[in-house]
Amino acid sequence: MRLILEVWRQASPQAQGHFEPYEIADAREEMSLLELLDRLNHQLIEANQDPVAFESDCREGICGTCGIDVNGTPHGPEDNVPACGQHVRSFHDGDTVRIEPFRAAGFTIIRDLIVDRTGLDRIIQAGGTVAVDAGTAMDADSVLVTHEQSEQALDFAACIGCGACVSACPNGAAYLFTGAKLKHLSLMPHGRMERGKRAVSMVAQMEHEFGPCSQIGECALACPAGVPLSAIATVNAERLRAMLRHRDN
Amino acid sequence: MSSETTYRPDADPIPSAARPAATPAPFPPTWALKVTMAVTGSIFVAFILFHLAGNLKVYIGAEDFNHYAEWLRHLLNPLIPGSGFLWAFRAVMAISLVLHVYSGITLWVRARRARGAHARRFLVRRLGSRTMIWTGLIVLCFIVFHILDLTVGKIVAAPGFAPDDAYSNLIHSFERPAVALFYGLTMALIAVHISHGIWSVVNDLGGTGTRLRAVVFALAGAIAVVVAVANLSIPIAVQLGFLTVG
Repeated sequence: MRLILEVWRQASPQAQGHFEPYEIADAREEMSLLELLDRLNHQLIEANQDPVAFESDCREGICGTCGIDVNGTPHGPEDNVPACGQHVRSFHDGDTVRIEPFRAAGFTIIRDLIVDRTGLDRIIQAGGTVAVDAGTAMDADSVLVTHEQSEQALDFAACIGCGACVSACPNGAAYLFTGAKLKHLSLMPHGRMERGKRAVSMVAQMEHEFGPCSQIGECALACPAGVPLSAIATVNAERLRAMLRHRDN
Repeated sequence: MSSETTYRPDADPIPSAARPAATPAPFPPTWALKVTMAVTGSIFVAFILFHLAGNLKVYIGAEDFNHYAEWLRHLLNPLIPGSGFLWAFRAVMAISLVLHVYSGITLWVRARRARGAHARRFLVRRLGSRTMIWTGLIVLCFIVFHILDLTVGKIVAAPGFAPDDAYSNLIHSFERPAVALFYGLTMALIAVHISHGIWSVVNDLGGTGTRLRAVVFALAGAIAVVVAVANLSIPIAVQLGFLTVG
């Protein structure tokens, strides 16, 4: 299968970026999009050119490291699948595929397809944690959690922090990301101790670097972890709760 | 963990890639602006529904319609004397409008900044979400026109405006084809605006329940359609000659 890749090339955060067309003559349907980029890089190295810088790690959809916009869609044409799980079979022979880094004012491009997503880390640092003693594991049954509650918490804990929601959002908002963490921790007994403080801190940090939510819904379509759209409502729910209660928990 | 978030909250050595947020925290906070929009927007939707109920009295007849208009001016008499309630109500509407427009424009500016230089391709076809600012600004112009036309009776009002004959004022205004068309188009825009607006209320006020969200989503569309169709019927009825003076 022959594909034309238009890849964003940018040498440094300050440099002017541009799309560079490359031809892949021997793309195969079963290749993932990351393998397609690997193929391109082999080609570039053989031709003594600079390979395209992109991030990847587990390549099985659990780490959140990979992240590219493909034809304007975060991760690729399939909904709720990370780039490593998107395949060349989504395209046809002779197609032009435009590959660019995640786009948002909060994501500075470091090089080519790599963006600085530490803005998301800072939201987690602002309160996406629980203050428990890390030491000998406590008895498994000493804090009881219902099955339903743990399942629901897991749905929101599924977020892998890839940043696709921000890139998908026309407002550059990180509501799905922040809401997922707020919801996840609000459902767990340990997380609930700091529920109010966490909401105030994480929402403030989110607003530093990311935009407001307009309930468009692009984020939930892009999310490779399938975090439900209700996470965006959680942000204001938790923040309002903290305002009304004025307590740490 | 603290609300002072300009700096990293913990004392770990800062990784080279991580840097404190360069931008200051926005003020007023985004979440507060969203809540303001939701509350004031809800007031407007409630008003639109009451307004619609009043509008439909035009089909009962001139006397009924004018009687209703007069009743509005003396609402809650004698508890609140004269037009006291009317003016208090107008004050609430004016304050809500200022807050709604201010919040909307501020959020729009923040959203454009946070998007960055690159446009997004749209997968979700929720027309309302992208056009809120534009439908909102057009509706704002409409409100000014509407008040001048049928409340104050100046500049854009039809000739022969009479403060005590709301029915005739309405019919004469809608007998002008351009005005009827403008009202019609604005009703369509209001429908687009409130269909997304009502759906946003449930999100902004933190409604996370599956059933609640489904109900409000459906309700948003239904209210928008009812408001548009029922209000549109009046200029159409006037233009077709079903509603006339005398």
